[in-house]
Order: sequence, then C-alpha cells, then structure tokens
Amino acid sequence: METAEFRAGLVRWLDEHLTELEPPFVGEGTLGEQMEQLSRVKRALFDAGWMRWGWPESVGGLGGPPMLRAVLGEEVTGRDLVVPGFFSMTEILAPTLAEFAAPELAREEIPKLLRGEAMWCQGFSEPGTGSDLSSLSCRATERDGHWVVNGQKLWTSLSQYASRCVLLTRTGSAESRHRGITAFFVDMDTPGITVRPFALMNGAPEFAEVFFDDVVVPADRILGDVNGGWAVAMNILPFERSTSFWHRTAYLANRMQQLVERAPDDVHSATVLGEAFQMLYAMRARSRLTQYRLAEQGALGAETSIDKILVATAEQQLFDAARELVPGLVELDDSPDGERWRSEYLYSRAATIYGGSAEIQRNIVARRLLDLGPEA
Amino acid sequence: MEADERELLDKSVRHALVSAPDADDALDAIGWPDVLAAEPRDAVSVVFGALGDLNAVASSLDDVLLDAVGATTASGAAVALPAFGAWDPPGVVSGGALAIDGLAFARSARRYTVAVPARDGDQVIVAIVRTEAIERTLIEGIAPEVGMSKLRAGAVQPVVTETLAPHAWDDVLLAGRRALATELVAIGRAMLRLAREHALTREQFGRPIAQFQAVRHRLAEAYVALEAGDAALDAAWDTPDPMTALLAKSLAGRGARIAATHSQQVLAGIGFTEEHPLHRYVKRALLLDGLLGSSTRLPREVGVTLLATRQLPRLLDL
Repeated sequence: METAEFRAGLVRWLDEHLTELEPPFVGEGTLGEQMEQLSRVKRALFDAGWMRWGWPESVGGLGGPPMLRAVLGEEVTGRDLVVPGFFSMTEILAPTLAEFAAPELAREEIPKLLRGEAMWCQGFSEPGTGSDLSSLSCRATERDGHWVVNGQKLWTSLSQYASRCVLLTRTGSAESRHRGITAFFVDMDTPGITVRPFALMNGAPEFAEVFFDDVVVPADRILGDVNGGWAVAMNILPFERSTSFWHRTAYLANRMQQLVERAPDDVHSATVLGEAFQMLYAMRARSRLTQYRLAEQGALGAETSIDKILVATAEQQLFDAARELVPGLVELDDSPDGERWRSEYLYSRAATIYGGSAEIQRNIVARRLLDLGPEA
Repeated sequence: MEADERELLDKSVRHALVSAPDADDALDAIGWPDVLAAEPRDAVSVVFGALGDLNAVASSLDDVLLDAVGATTASGAAVALPAFGAWDPPGVVSGGALAIDGLAFARSARRYTVAVPARDGDQVIVAIVRTEAIERTLIEGIAPEVGMSKLRAGAVQPVVTETLAPHAWDDVLLAGRRALATELVAIGRAMLRLAREHALTREQFGRPIAQFQAVRHRLAEAYVALEAGDAALDAAWDTPDPMTALLAKSLAGRGARIAATHSQQVLAGIGFTEEHPLHRYVKRALLLDGLLGSSTRLPREVGVTLLATRQLPRLLDL
C-alpha cells in the first residue's frame, strides 16, 4: 500500500463516516469523555482496517510501510476527532514493545491497544527523577523467579485508564545510573499498585502518581535484558518525536485554522498569524524529513531533539497568538469553545517541559549534534 | 546528480570562487549556467552553498533569475532586482516609458544591457535596457565587496521588451528566494562553525567556554534555527510554489539572524573586530536578508494571505 493510495482511501472513508466518528460532546469534553471517544474511534478505525496498516502481521497488523501510521494520525487528529497526545500514545510505546517484548506477548497485547480496548502508560519519571532519568530509584528485586517492585512513579499520563505500564526500575546498585535499569511490562491491576490522579493547571486529571508496594511481576514481562532498560527508554524517545509529532502538527494546523477564521483583519493580526504559521510550517517541514529518515533507517537518534524543540516552540507560539488576537478568549470566555482554548493555552505551557525539557533538548543538541564535549 | 559528480562540482565551484580573478567568468567556464538549466537543485545548492560558506562574491543570482525569466532576449544581460526589502518588479511601464527603482549585482558594471522585470498594467514584462541609459550608483554599504549598485530611471526607452507568462514573476521570486535561502543558511552555518571553534578553544575561569551551559544553549539555538531553514528549503525544492519558497527565504533569513546573534555573543570581543572573519558573514547576512523580502517582513505577508483567504494552505504532505 502506497502513502498516497492509503491517504485517498482513508480520506474517503473518514468523509463517509465523519458524523458517527465526531465527538458526541461540545468543546473539549471531560477527560473521561475524551478517553471514551478515543476508544470508539480506534475501534472503528481498527475494524475498517486503517488502524492495522503499517504494523507488521506479527503484531496483528496488515503490513505496509510504518509511514502509513503517520498519515492515519494526521488525518484523524487534523479532523479533531481525538486528542492527539492520547491517540499517539500507541506510536510512543507499541513500536518499542514490538522490538523488546517476547514475540507472543507483543502479538497478544498490541492488537488490543490498536483496537482501543486497552490503554498503556509510561512509568518513567519519579518524584526525584525528572530530567535526570538515569537517577531513578523505583526498585525491582528478583525473588523466586519473579520480580518484586517497590517505589513510586510520577507524571504517569492516563495511568488511571491504563491496563498496562511500560515501567523503568532500578535493578542495579543505587550508583549504577543507566547501567542498572530494567524495563518491565506490568499489568496495572496487579495487587500493590495504587494510582492517584491529580489535576493539572487546566483542571484535567491527566497525570497521576503511581505507587508500587511489593508488586509481583513475572520474569517474562521483562523488556529487553536485565539491566538493559536504558536501551528500551532510548528506543522510545525517538519514536515519541517522529510519528506522533507528525500527528501533532495536523492538530495544531486545525487549531490554527480556527484562529485564522476569527482573527481581526489588521496589520498586527497579520504579523502575529504569519509568525505563528511560519513556526508551525518549520515544524512540519522538519518533521517531514524525520518521517523520511525513519522510513529509510528504521531508527532515529539525537537529531530528534530538534523536532522536539520546534514542536514546543510552534505550539506555544500558536496559543500565544490565539490569546493575543482574540482578547479574553483565554482569560474570560466561558463558552465550551473558550474553555477549550483556555485549557489548550494552559496545557501548551508544558510543551517545553514534558517529554524532555527544553533545556535537556538543548543539552543534547550541544553535546551530540554540535559535539561541544562534556559540560562543566 | 550522483554524489561524486556533485562533489566534483562543489570542488571546482569553490576553486573558481576563491582563486579566479573574476568569479562570474570562472563559473561560466566550468559550465555553471548549463548545470543550472539541467540540474537546478544541485546547481543552486552547490553554488549558493559555497558562496555563503566562503563569503565569496559572484553575480550568480543574475543567472538564476534569468533562467527563471526564460526570455531569450534577456540572454547575456545583467538583471535588475527589486529595491531593498521589496519584492515587486523593479520596473513600471507607463505611457511606453519605463521607470526603474531597483538594485543590481556587480555584473551590471560589465554588461551592456540590463534585463528589467517590470509591471505593464496587468502584465509582467522584461525590458532590455542599455546599461548606460540607467542612472547606476555604486553602493559601498555594509558589504562593499559585493559591489552592488542602485538602479534608477525616470523614463527610459527599452531596446526591446518581451511579455512574460502570467505567473512568470512568481517563478522569478521562487527561484531567487530559494537561491538566497541557500546562501543564508550556509552563512549561518559558517558563523556557527566559527563560534563553535572559538568556544572550544577560548578558556575562561580555567576551562573552555564551551563547557558553560549558557554558551552551549546559544549555539544549540542557532543550530536548531538553521535546521528549520534547511528543512524549509528542502520543502521548497520538493514542493515548489510561491508560498514554500517565501517560507524558505524567511526561515533561512531567520536562521541566519539567530545564528548571527548567538555567534556574535559567543565570539564576544574578538567577533566584534575586523581581525576575525565573523563580521563579514554578519554583514553579508544582513544584506541578503533584505533582498526579495526580509525574514522580519515576510511572515506578515503570509499573515495577509491567511486573512485574505481565511484558510490555512494545505501543509506539506508525506
């Protein structure tokens, strides 16, 4: 299946089924409504086959180039059918599971994720471990052929909805840093796991802290090697910044279209819109090359930090523009539309924080791409 | 073009630019105008990349614009560019006479004729004018080595005029903006290279300043901005249209501007002198940014289009 052919068929199908796929709620909806909508859309896309293209048959897919998944997410998020970050979660975790999990586990779990029956979460950050990921301390200890996990995760998105978690644990000595980390694929209904969601500044309880208290995990749920978890984590990050960012540009373009339709017709407005569009376009142009590189090389590296910096810049500039050009939209508007803009504006402030902060990205560019040697 | 072919072209272009007494003649001699016609993307990338990287001087933009004009009568002429900061054709025809307000590269001093793109009512024409019939003032300006001239004429009679296809001026702008974008990104990369070398060797507080995060982040910022310009340039070749070319020029100019700011700051005292080569790149970037629309002015033009249509253009596809 070629990209253009796939897109043409998909667009036709989406146009035919748009009314039934559109969210039943007005405005942004609650987190629960968004999650229900996500499952519903994924299910419909899976049943029609679209969600299966670009995935290997070994994990329940229909084959074809992975780039088809970029096109799918673009068309779906560009039509405002689902929250892009939630939809793209599949892109962030499933390729890594396909690569590091036992084949039968991947074959069992990935189709459920694609079909919208399951949600996964990513247990990386901890209270004491933000940017400095390799300092994590949530511990896994081997006991009678199982592993027992004790500790805490933080910022674990959507973990209250998740049935599985890709979890990073400390298995080496406290000082072992990235050499002593092991990744697990954990069932969230295992006894000993407690999830406590908390509200973000936009009011949505999207994140949670997750507590692990003598949580028993079978040894066949290890991803990759014991003490080889750093490779798993590093494998995830570039995926997070390729396909899913392509989806995000489509979502941002949709929001920009809404803004363009209502922005005032004057020189100031033209300047602000033009600057915002330029950054969105820069992100899109960059991400386009990244998709081609991923298709060619099958893997990506430090250069995706550039994509991360550009997407954060574009996102914040777009919502800044909305606030600037429609006075009160963010601060005063209590209509469902206004509440959505307010929520998105506030959420966009985190674009330079989550998934590796703006500072960490610049550190990576300096060290790995500019080859400036180690920092003082 | 194969990689080894391109490498060979790059080598001979660089040789022509640094060692020949007249870079334009030397580029002609290695067949650059033919390569431009046959393989425009490689030709422009190599020549304008080398011009920017080496801070060299040639009137190669004339060749690119002539190629885009596609008028047989214009062959061999120098080219009139829009006035600084503007992107309307430099000429206006009224009552059969041509008024000119534009710029030209150094080639105009050595050619008998100048090709002047001009508006004639709804049409765009190219008017071939005898160079001596135009008031031509050599500009010292911020980068005297470029040898630019200001062109002015109140009412001049062209030797011959040729009407261009309806979208010809868009094509000319597209080609010119892509070439200038290429040179601006190359200038930006050259400045960043100088700043990086300095950061790795200059020691303060007992260590190279490259070890300080404040310095590293400035250089990273410049690198990202240049990559954005480069990505936009790629898109303007893969999907050539007026909007992608405009955005390539704007983002390349932005990249060069950000690279200039941060490189200047990292190079600090020495970068502020004529002892160090940075200043030449900084000045050249300022000059080229203003040709065919600057990176500070073009975004507004995008916004004007957005407001006129109330419609985002279809973004780049895979």
